[in-house]
Amino acid sequence: MKIEGEYVFNGPREEVWKLVRDPEVLATALPGTQSLEQVGENEYEGAMNVRIGPVAGAFSGRIVVSNEVAPESCTLSVEGRGKPGFAKGTGDVHLLDQGDGTTLMKYEGEMQIGGRLASVGQRLIDTASKSMIRQGLDALNEALEARVSAKATGQEEIEYEAPSEAEFAAAVARDMAGEMLSSARARIILIVLAIAIVIVIAAVVLTNSGGG
Amino acid sequence: MTKKYLGQRMTRTEDPRLLTGQALFVDDVEIPGMLYAAFLRSDYAHALIRSIDVSAAQNRPGVVAVYTAQDLGDFWQHGPPLVPAPHSVEGVVFHSRTQVPLAKDKVRYVGEAVAVVFAESRYIAEDALEEIAVDYEPLETVADLERALEAGAPLVHDDLDSNMASHLVQRKGDYAAAREKADLVIKRRIVIDRGAAGAMENRGIVAHWDEKSQHLTMWDTTQAPIPVRNGLAKILGLSESQVRVIAPFVGGGFGPKIMMFLAEEVLVPWGAIQLNRPIKWIEDRRENFFATTQERGQTHDAEIALTRDGRILGVSHEFLHDTGAYNPYGLTIPLNTQSHSMSAYDVANYYSDMKVVFTNKMITTPVRGAGRPQGIFLMERLLDIAAKELGKDPIEIRKRNYIPPDAFPYNHEIIDQAFAPLVFDSGNYRPALEKAAAMIGYEKFVKEEQPRLRAEGQHVGIGIVSFVETTGVGPYEGSRVTVEASGKISVATGVGTQGQGHFTSFAQIVADQLGVSPRDVRLVTGDTSEFHWGTGTFASRGSVVAANAIHAAAKSVRAKILRLASKALETPEEELELDDGQVRVADIPRQSISLGELAVLANPLRGAVEPGTEPGLEATAYYGPQYGATASGSHAMIIKVDPETMMVEIKRYVAVEDCGTMLNPLIVEGQVHGGVALGIGNSYYEQLIYDDNGQLLNASLADYLIPSATEVPRVEVGHEETRSPLNELGSKGAGEAGAIPVPALFAQALEDALADYNVEILEAPMSPNKLFELLHGKEKEQ
Amino acid sequence: MSNLFNVTVTVNGTRYERTVEPRLLLSDFLRHDLGLTGTHVGCEHGVCGACTVLFDGEPVRSCLMFAVQANGHEILTVEGLGTIDDLHPLQKTFQEAHAVQCGFCTPGFLMTLVPFLEGNPNPTEAEIREAISGNLCRCTGYQHIVDAVKLAAERMRT
Repeated sequence: MKIEGEYVFNGPREEVWKLVRDPEVLATALPGTQSLEQVGENEYEGAMNVRIGPVAGAFSGRIVVSNEVAPESCTLSVEGRGKPGFAKGTGDVHLLDQGDGTTLMKYEGEMQIGGRLASVGQRLIDTASKSMIRQGLDALNEALEARVSAKATGQEEIEYEAPSEAEFAAAVARDMAGEMLSSARARIILIVLAIAIVIVIAAVVLTNSGGG
Repeated sequence: MTKKYLGQRMTRTEDPRLLTGQALFVDDVEIPGMLYAAFLRSDYAHALIRSIDVSAAQNRPGVVAVYTAQDLGDFWQHGPPLVPAPHSVEGVVFHSRTQVPLAKDKVRYVGEAVAVVFAESRYIAEDALEEIAVDYEPLETVADLERALEAGAPLVHDDLDSNMASHLVQRKGDYAAAREKADLVIKRRIVIDRGAAGAMENRGIVAHWDEKSQHLTMWDTTQAPIPVRNGLAKILGLSESQVRVIAPFVGGGFGPKIMMFLAEEVLVPWGAIQLNRPIKWIEDRRENFFATTQERGQTHDAEIALTRDGRILGVSHEFLHDTGAYNPYGLTIPLNTQSHSMSAYDVANYYSDMKVVFTNKMITTPVRGAGRPQGIFLMERLLDIAAKELGKDPIEIRKRNYIPPDAFPYNHEIIDQAFAPLVFDSGNYRPALEKAAAMIGYEKFVKEEQPRLRAEGQHVGIGIVSFVETTGVGPYEGSRVTVEASGKISVATGVGTQGQGHFTSFAQIVADQLGVSPRDVRLVTGDTSEFHWGTGTFASRGSVVAANAIHAAAKSVRAKILRLASKALETPEEELELDDGQVRVADIPRQSISLGELAVLANPLRGAVEPGTEPGLEATAYYGPQYGATASGSHAMIIKVDPETMMVEIKRYVAVEDCGTMLNPLIVEGQVHGGVALGIGNSYYEQLIYDDNGQLLNASLADYLIPSATEVPRVEVGHEETRSPLNELGSKGAGEAGAIPVPALFAQALEDALADYNVEILEAPMSPNKLFELLHGKEKEQ
Repeated sequence: MSNLFNVTVTVNGTRYERTVEPRLLLSDFLRHDLGLTGTHVGCEHGVCGACTVLFDGEPVRSCLMFAVQANGHEILTVEGLGTIDDLHPLQKTFQEAHAVQCGFCTPGFLMTLVPFLEGNPNPTEAEIREAISGNLCRCTGYQHIVDAVKLAAERMRT
């Protein structure tokens, strides 16, 4: 099946590239991710819970990054297996500076699916995969915005609307923090995310407790 | 002797049990201490198995055992080839590769069993499946027939040079010469794809090993209990008398339930013996799509050569047949295709090059029609296209080419599925065609109604096709008929029953011979402890082979009755008649003796008997035809198509069938209705869709569309009767006839309905999507 | 291990009390826990209709329900429709019209048709076909089933 689409990030291309170039962040942003580990120079292994309609279960997989042309493009290869079946795919990611402070991301790829996912999940896979990618990119965008704001104002206080997947991301961040991550880069991003989320939750709590 | 019951539209004796939920199906069997089996099946169509870790599954509470191929030791063997290799055929290439109980180093199709779990409940067994970790190394797959034969294609079986499982060429006359003389040669590529049998009951097995009496009882949804018993006894190292296989009520067979010794049929009884616990395995519907056999996949490059007045000079085709990952059923399906590619027509020159191809898909074995629909589709499509070119109508061109009724037995000079010369025993094809045309009002529709409807903007079309069906094939069946002391009759035969009404139609045969009511004849089918010899229900043979064996046995019993009654009543046999369960002296009704009394007389508890007499009023008889009887018929249909939505509405459907003598016309009609319904599925709604990686994409009834009551029209059934000279009853088979011509008919009628688009339908199944693409392709051309 | 739940359900007029896992399907409960094997399972994904039973008078797919959902409710299965000596009019006409071949789908059809005829005592052929379009039969082609329904409806009206 083909996976393709576009997304506009609220931030400069270099920042987006940094986030996107790091598959850990991408994978972290995907709902259901349980763990992730770097196992090679451009190689990562992880586990994720998948639910597509009647098909649900744990997947374990591997991501490989290649063909890097910073800050423009790269190729991601993904391979996952689990009770619901298996998935194998390759995708190209392109970033274009829109000139107005935003970045257009174009992604295009092919995915092979097998097992239960393929045989009973067919009709749902399209929608489900789009939804998962959108949620992931939204979370990524929020992380980007938080980071850009933090840089711009030099503060640690950030205000923005709580994303509906905050709890998701929070849970993931919690799990991630429990894992041994060697990449310093990843740690920074996670700290940024965690701070952002904490502040968001605090903001929500404060606004709610103020009456509504 | 007057025929009272045979040929009557009797309602079925077995119905009340089925209607009140009192009939035993395999999943209804409950034995204390029973375990439940679940099979782990491959998600990959082609992969090496690096390792399997079952430890987590084994440790799950409630799991009694988990087995992989390694655990089976010497028991791990390839299944037996079910159909002999055609070594007798000159120039044939045949590589036999049969399935294994659990994949050892390599999986070759999605659904191939890799491990089995036996647990205290089905729920726990399925839970445990999720905990088995298999390390697969995926390999490249072959799903497309032509790509499978290309040099360098991944090999399904590494020990072979290619994926060609078999190559067989058949010739009749000289096609090349005929082609030279032809005024018209039509050349087309015709593609047919897979469908599932889709019986409402999935497969199931319950195996019960009694350690103390060293006896195995197995309930199995099989169409062939006796061969299963024989094969299992051998596989398990038991004597045949230690194994009893029972096919109770079976919720539909349609072909795949005659495939034997797939993983489950071998491992469930084996497990029952290993663990000394009864074990049940019930297939679920998703499994059924992967783990039960299917068929129809073929690609034909075909030609037909004709004179300008529509006379067929010859037919030639090269075709590829998809056998899936293994070929235990030999060449049966593609040989059937060849046997039916000339159909009902007098074709003097025929050339057929058949290549059977291994692919990374489920094994193919017969599904209702068993290769015949493909042959009929081929011929009828070529003929219809030729008719259009020559300006002949479908009826005219068929009549011009039928084998004439005085030309039988007609030897086609090619071999059939039994590797014997293909001989049609009898047939009379014109009357069926004319009757179908009359019943549907062909002329009136074409001349009046169709133009009127078309003027209103409707897309309506009419189609009419012919077909033949080889039926009633050997090798043999047998039966035992016994008069009991109660006066009731008991009959046993080796075939099973999956809804064909044997309990009633066979009883009608016996009832006529013995002068009793069919309701007093109790039939047992499908139980190996009741009858020892036989092969099974397939190839539309029950009403021929089993029926004639029953007829012969009943006649023998009748003779015994008369002989004994003659002594008892002191009257010559010629003056006796059998009626109402009594033997009476003709015209002196008071002088009679009941069958029950005679049975007691025939089986004395004391006293001497004359040497050479057999006890009781019982006889066993076998019937084995020299070759199969050929049924035939003609179907016609009026169909309306919406060229925007591609939805179709069948306005009228006529099926004229000729199955020789009918045992019970009500049952025959039911078979025709059901066959047509399956044929409609094969024509427009059903297709097993595999992607290039051998993944089955529609393994559920939500995506594999078995027709419902709103897709299947009323089928008006007409009968012709050309008795078969091959057997005393004059019967031919009728089980598959309904399904065989439907895709060909659909194609013709759809083309007619969309005449203004001038499309050509060369594939089956069609579907709304495919029709849409065809039409749109056409529009772009304009 | 999972929690167990007490379930009290009336089936064919008889009250049953059992303790079951929450994930036990209603179809499995009826067939294996209560031994009422007349209800058949054809697909377990709610398409074929073979598992149809009446749940408080309404036809439901028992393969898509859990036994615990039946707690406190009334179920009618094919065994409650009639006996061999006392067939329901539909069961009689199914036999007369040869609407049964393998019989596997039959209980599902009967349980769908009983409430249908109650609500529509004089149905047309099209209405009958629509009503049974959620029940799959691979053997009969539906024609004799439709005939059986028409005949039963006629008899039940008089």
